[in-house]
Amino acid sequence: MSLLDVKNLTKRYRRDLAVDHLSFSLQQHTATALIGPNGAGKTTALSMLAGLLKPTTGSITWDHTTGVGFLPQHPRFFPWLTALEFTEMAAKLSGVEAKKVRQQATRTLEFVGLAPALNKKTGTFSGGMKQRLGLAQAIVHQPELLLLDEPVSALDPAGRREIMNLLKSLQQDTTILYSTHILNDAEEMTDQLLFLQQGKLVEKGSLEEVKERYAEPRIRIHFQTAEDAGGFSRHMPWEAVQNGNRIDVAVTAKGPGMQEILTALTAAGDKVVGVERQTASLEDIFMKVAGGR
Amino acid sequence: MSQFSVLLQKEWRENVRNYKIFWIPVVFILFGIMEPVINYFLPQILDSVGGLPEGAVLEIPTPTPEQILVAVTGQYQFIGMLALILAYMGTVAGERKSGTATLLYVRPLSFSAYFLSKWLMASLIALLSLWLGLLAAYYYTLLLFDTVNFADFLRFAATYSVWVVLIVSIVLAASAALPNAGMAAAVSLGSVLLMQLVDGLIGAYWSVSPLKIPVYAASWLNGRIDLVDFWISIGLVAVVIALLLIAGIWASRLNASKAKV
Amino acid sequence: MDQPTLLLLLLPVILIQLGLMIFTLVDLMRNPKPNGPKWMWGLVIVLVNIIGPILYLVIGRRNY
Repeated sequence: MSLLDVKNLTKRYRRDLAVDHLSFSLQQHTATALIGPNGAGKTTALSMLAGLLKPTTGSITWDHTTGVGFLPQHPRFFPWLTALEFTEMAAKLSGVEAKKVRQQATRTLEFVGLAPALNKKTGTFSGGMKQRLGLAQAIVHQPELLLLDEPVSALDPAGRREIMNLLKSLQQDTTILYSTHILNDAEEMTDQLLFLQQGKLVEKGSLEEVKERYAEPRIRIHFQTAEDAGGFSRHMPWEAVQNGNRIDVAVTAKGPGMQEILTALTAAGDKVVGVERQTASLEDIFMKVAGGR
Repeated sequence: MSQFSVLLQKEWRENVRNYKIFWIPVVFILFGIMEPVINYFLPQILDSVGGLPEGAVLEIPTPTPEQILVAVTGQYQFIGMLALILAYMGTVAGERKSGTATLLYVRPLSFSAYFLSKWLMASLIALLSLWLGLLAAYYYTLLLFDTVNFADFLRFAATYSVWVVLIVSIVLAASAALPNAGMAAAVSLGSVLLMQLVDGLIGAYWSVSPLKIPVYAASWLNGRIDLVDFWISIGLVAVVIALLLIAGIWASRLNASKAKV
Repeated sequence: MDQPTLLLLLLPVILIQLGLMIFTLVDLMRNPKPNGPKWMWGLVIVLVNIIGPILYLVIGRRNY
C-alpha cells in the first residue's frame, strides 16, 4: 500500500523550474533515496513534501493523519534553548500527549546519542550534535513518514556510520525519504532510487533495476604490456575499451558470455596477468547519467 | 497542552535568556528617573556652566510635578519606542531569516497561536517596563517636587499603556510582514515618528484619533479631558490593534514559505 | 539640597548604569562568537552610556 503519491509536482521560480513534473509513490515502510547533483531540486522537492513550500502545480496525496518528521540539511535551533527543551517543544507542537512528552523527548535524545547533552544550550552544539538533534526533533512524535535532507553529509565517517544504523533501525516501522549526494549511503539503505537532475526525475527504480539498466557488468583484463592488450582487443570480435595495459569488455545480452571470454583468454596464454569482474557502482551510474545530459 | 501556552513559554524563555526582560525595564527606569533629576538640578547646572553676562538673572520657571511626568512620556516617545523597536524588530522576521522558524513551521502550527504568543509576551514586557519607569518617575517627582494625585497618575499611566501596546503591535506586524528585522525597524520607527508628526502638525483639527492617545494621557494630569472623545479614541485604537494582529497572523502564515530551509 | 543628598538621589541611576555595564561586559567575555570584534564591543559598552550595552545586547550578542 502506498503511503504517499506525488503526481507532476512542479515548482517554478520565475522562469526556472526547480522541480519539473516529479511523480513517484512511497510504499509503506520502505526507504527511498533521492539522489542527484547539487542544485538538482532535492531540497525544493523535500520542502514541498514537508509543507514548507507551496507547489506551483501538481499534487501530493497522502493520508493526513500521518505524522511527518522533517530534517533540513542544516537544522537551525534557538540557541538559548537546551536540547531537551527544544525537543519537548517540538513534541508538544506536534501533538504528543502532555504526560508523555518528557519521557518521549528524553528517550529520543538518548536514541540519537545526545544523552550527555540533554541540558546543554543548543547554541554550544557542534555541527554533528545539531544533526543528531535535528534527527531527534524529526522523530520525537513517532511520525509515519520521515523526510530527511542530506541527513549524514555533515558528519564525520564514524558519525555517518552511526546515524545510518539509526536510520536503518527506524526503517522497520517508518517510511523514509532521504536525499543524499553521497552514493555509498544511498547504496546502503534503498528500496527505491529516485535520480533527480535539473528538477526532472531521470531514473527511478530499485537499486538493482537501475544498476542493471545503466551500467552493464564488465570484465577487466590486465595484460603484461599495452601491446599485448592492443593485440588482444584487435583480434577480439567484441567491443572493448583499451586503457594502457588493460581492456574492459562489456558483458551484455548481445555481447560475449563469460564462457567465450574465458576461451579467448586461454588462447592468449601468459600475456594475461589478471582478470577481474567489475560491477557498476552507483557512482558510475551517477557519472553516466549526470554526464550524459 | 495548547500550542499557545507552549509557544508562550518559548517566548518567555527567549525574553529571559536574551536579557530583554532586564534591559528594556532598565531603559524605561533610567529615563524615568533622569527627567525629574535633571529638571531639579537644571538651575544649578546652568549656573555652573555659566556664560551669562554679569548681573543677568536667569528666570527658569519651576515645572509642576505634572509637567515632569508628561515630560517623561515625551522621552519615552522616542527613546522608549526605539528600545521596543530594537528589541522586537526580529521577532518574526529574524526567526524566518535565521532558519530557526523552519522547525516550527514544519509542524501543524497554528499561526494565530504563533503570532499572538509573541505579541502577548512583548506587550507584557513593554508594559512592565513602562510601569516600572513611570513609578520610578513618580517617586522621584514626589521627592524632588511635589505630590501628584495618585488616581490621576494611574489614569495617565493606563492611557499611555494603550499607546505602548499599539506600538508593540506595529513592530510585530511589521516584523511578520517584512523580509528582515532592519526593514521592520525602519518601517516601525518611520510610522511612530510620522504618527507623532501628523498629530503635532494638524492634530489640532481633530479631537478623536488614535494618534491622540499620548495627548489624552497627558490630559489626565492637566485636568482637561473630554471623556466622550477619549473613549471613542480608545475604541479606535482597539480596532487598529485588532487589525494589526489579524494582519500579523496573516503575514506570518503567508511568509512562512520564505523561511530559510 | 546639600551634596550627600544629591549623591543619594543619583545613586540608583549610577548603580543601574554600572550594573548594566558590568553585566554586559561579563556576557561579552563569556560570548563564544560575538557579532564583531570583542575589543570593539568592550569599548562601545564602556564608552557609550546606556546605548552601548543595549546595542551589544541587540546587535552584537548574536543570542548564543
